[in-house]
Amino acid sequence: MASVSRPERAPRPLAPCLTRYPPPPSPLTVGFLSMEEEETYLELYLNQCAAQDGLAPPRSPPFSPVVPYDMYILNATNPETAFNSNPEIKETSDGFSSVDLSFLPDELTQEDKDQPVMGSKHETEENSESQSRQSRLPSPSKQDIGLGLNSPSLSNPHSQRHPSDTDSVQASLEKPDSNSLPLASITPMTPVTSVSECCGIVPQLQNIVSTVNLACKLDLKKIALHAKNAEYNPKRFAAVIMRIREPRTTALIFSSGKMVCTGARSEEQSRLAARKYARVVQKLGFPARFLDFKIQNMVGSCDVKFPIRLEGLVLTHQQFSSYEPELFPGLIYRMVKPRIVLLIFVSGKVVLTGAKERSEICEAFENIYPILKGFKKA
Amino acid sequence: MPGRGRCPDCGSTELVEDSHYSQSQLVCSDCGCVVTEGVLTTTFSDEGNLREVTYSRSTGENEQVSRSQQRGLRRVRDLCRVLQLPPTFEDTAVAYYQQAYRHAGIRAARLQKKEVLVGCCVLITCRQHNWPLTMGAICTLLYADLDVFSSTYMQIVKLLELDVPSLCLAELVKTYCSSFKLFQASPSVPAKYVEDKEKMLSRTLQLVELASETWLVTGRHPLPVITAATFLAWQSLQPAYRLSCSLARFCKLANVDLPYPASSRLQELLAVLLRMAEHLAWLRVLRLDKRSVVKHIGDLLQHRHSLVRSAFRDAAAEVETLEKEPPGQGEGEVGNNSLGLLQGKRPASPALLLPPCMLKPPKRTCPAPPVSTVSGDEDISDSEIEQYLRTPQEVRDFQRAQAARQAATSVANPP
Repeated sequence: MASVSRPERAPRPLAPCLTRYPPPPSPLTVGFLSMEEEETYLELYLNQCAAQDGLAPPRSPPFSPVVPYDMYILNATNPETAFNSNPEIKETSDGFSSVDLSFLPDELTQEDKDQPVMGSKHETEENSESQSRQSRLPSPSKQDIGLGLNSPSLSNPHSQRHPSDTDSVQASLEKPDSNSLPLASITPMTPVTSVSECCGIVPQLQNIVSTVNLACKLDLKKIALHAKNAEYNPKRFAAVIMRIREPRTTALIFSSGKMVCTGARSEEQSRLAARKYARVVQKLGFPARFLDFKIQNMVGSCDVKFPIRLEGLVLTHQQFSSYEPELFPGLIYRMVKPRIVLLIFVSGKVVLTGAKERSEICEAFENIYPILKGFKKA
Repeated sequence: MPGRGRCPDCGSTELVEDSHYSQSQLVCSDCGCVVTEGVLTTTFSDEGNLREVTYSRSTGENEQVSRSQQRGLRRVRDLCRVLQLPPTFEDTAVAYYQQAYRHAGIRAARLQKKEVLVGCCVLITCRQHNWPLTMGAICTLLYADLDVFSSTYMQIVKLLELDVPSLCLAELVKTYCSSFKLFQASPSVPAKYVEDKEKMLSRTLQLVELASETWLVTGRHPLPVITAATFLAWQSLQPAYRLSCSLARFCKLANVDLPYPASSRLQELLAVLLRMAEHLAWLRVLRLDKRSVVKHIGDLLQHRHSLVRSAFRDAAAEVETLEKEPPGQGEGEVGNNSLGLLQGKRPASPALLLPPCMLKPPKRTCPAPPVSTVSGDEDISDSEIEQYLRTPQEVRDFQRAQAARQAATSVANPP
């Protein structure tokens, strides 16, 4: 639930509205805020919300989202704690879920922000006002849980935002501190270890190979004749090689109607490119469809920035590694879980391949990073 | 024998299996009629069916040793004898070959692959006994391509699930150095070039250890490093007469092939030695260069452990100290400075101990790819697709051009 990796999914109830809201500087306790300021903030917020009409409606109020009074009370009791639980979902960037918080219900995964508490409180207050002008009855349980649980473990320095959530990119947004609430500790959360261990290194995807079935027999000669970007040499290879410029990819189109698309740098790009190829084939007069799009392989690479003693690594991890300097300068590490092959070089560069999902690449890198760190000092 | 069927002539069940000139026959003991004659393949006739089974589907393959397998086993033994390996190696290598042959993929492989498989089995045996046999040596003996060899080798290691240890560098140094023909005077080797084997071996070993410590060996083919180390060791033992000899000439004299990367390994090794010399008090004043440092290799090797520690700062430790302390402090030069103060001169600041590929500046900075906000389900405009399609006029032109080209080629190559 935590990682919003596909934009079609409904954004979290309060998240989008709140993230787009620029944090006003506000004092810690509500009492200091004057009525006019509250109203202007409310206006601002409502204007913003009006702009986002296309989004899925926020969650309806049986779990009526934040009722501010409780928060204010809490805040009053702990004026020092800049508690800033924005009941927002921590959105991972690019679907990398290095922190898998999927077991948590929605409000509990929240993003760290530096903005002072009250700003967010106001947002939540206004949000609730806008959503349901009905009961202002405090529903403490849900929100408290949310607020409490938010703070302790989610203090990762790398807040990752979903890039496709375009509205949410607000550089001015700062991250609040999250200190533990006294009310916290409803359920213990698994500590976030993986992100801090990897020091923020995230493997970059370099290549995606995908296949799709166009579900119609194709006349390759006709395609090669009528398409500018196609090459077809039946003596060399029994498929048309077609290329498009945006996204920069290459496709192999076979006469059976099956197609292989390579060269994209993300899953969405691969899908878009495959659709463009299908559209080209359609325009050439074939009844092409778009069935069974599947990503077959993903290749990623990254740099750990320190040299690695490959001879040592092959000694300790002999059952997984294959290091033959006479044949290839890198060490081939076949990880069992997830089933990924890593090429590890002495310069610290690592290539990960064989993944069907982005998370597999991330997971594989998280598994290998502590092993490599062990070989940092010769 | 009962239960074998009836004789078609007299109907008796007394059928006896008899062999006539080694061909087995089923004969009726009453009337002497031959019921079945032996066939070369196993049949299901014993079970009442008279169907033949092809050899590949019978169990004959596993029971008999096929001709190509016999040939392969013979080649394995021959290769072991050519390489003068101990007799136990032969049996192990033969066992590996037989093990490999049980897999259908190997049985059906091309002859070229089976030839290379012979070399793979011998190589694996040698590796497991720390016998320093290089893949290049086997490929030369088998007249095989290194690519074919490498693919077969990786496949067989995976198939047989073997644990093959790495090439033992120390052993390789010993055998490789011994192959240099410099230990006896001959018409091609002048007297001043002849060297004592033990001295050369020990110095080469020390140089190779130094190279391995300073990241010159990891990820690289081991042999060129050893060639460079041997050359330096030989030069340093009598520098006065040998400095004038180049690496290529040295290898030619010693009757050893010069591997192509050896000259760059030599330069890297000399650079490491020069940096170490900067931290040796009595050498710093001499302002050595690549040629003069050879004279002092003996001294440098004698103190190599402490010199490496002082001349190179560990890149990893460096990064950590920089993270922990404020910059501009404690870069580990204090020790060196005190040494330098004795001479009244500062040594060069310690260089980073990194593999050469990390020391070179990156050829081109790879710009981070722009974060794309593609959703995959966007609309595709018609104009974008149209740009990839030919107009009817273009199609006609293209067809005409193709036809013209066909005509031209057919004229050029008359049938």
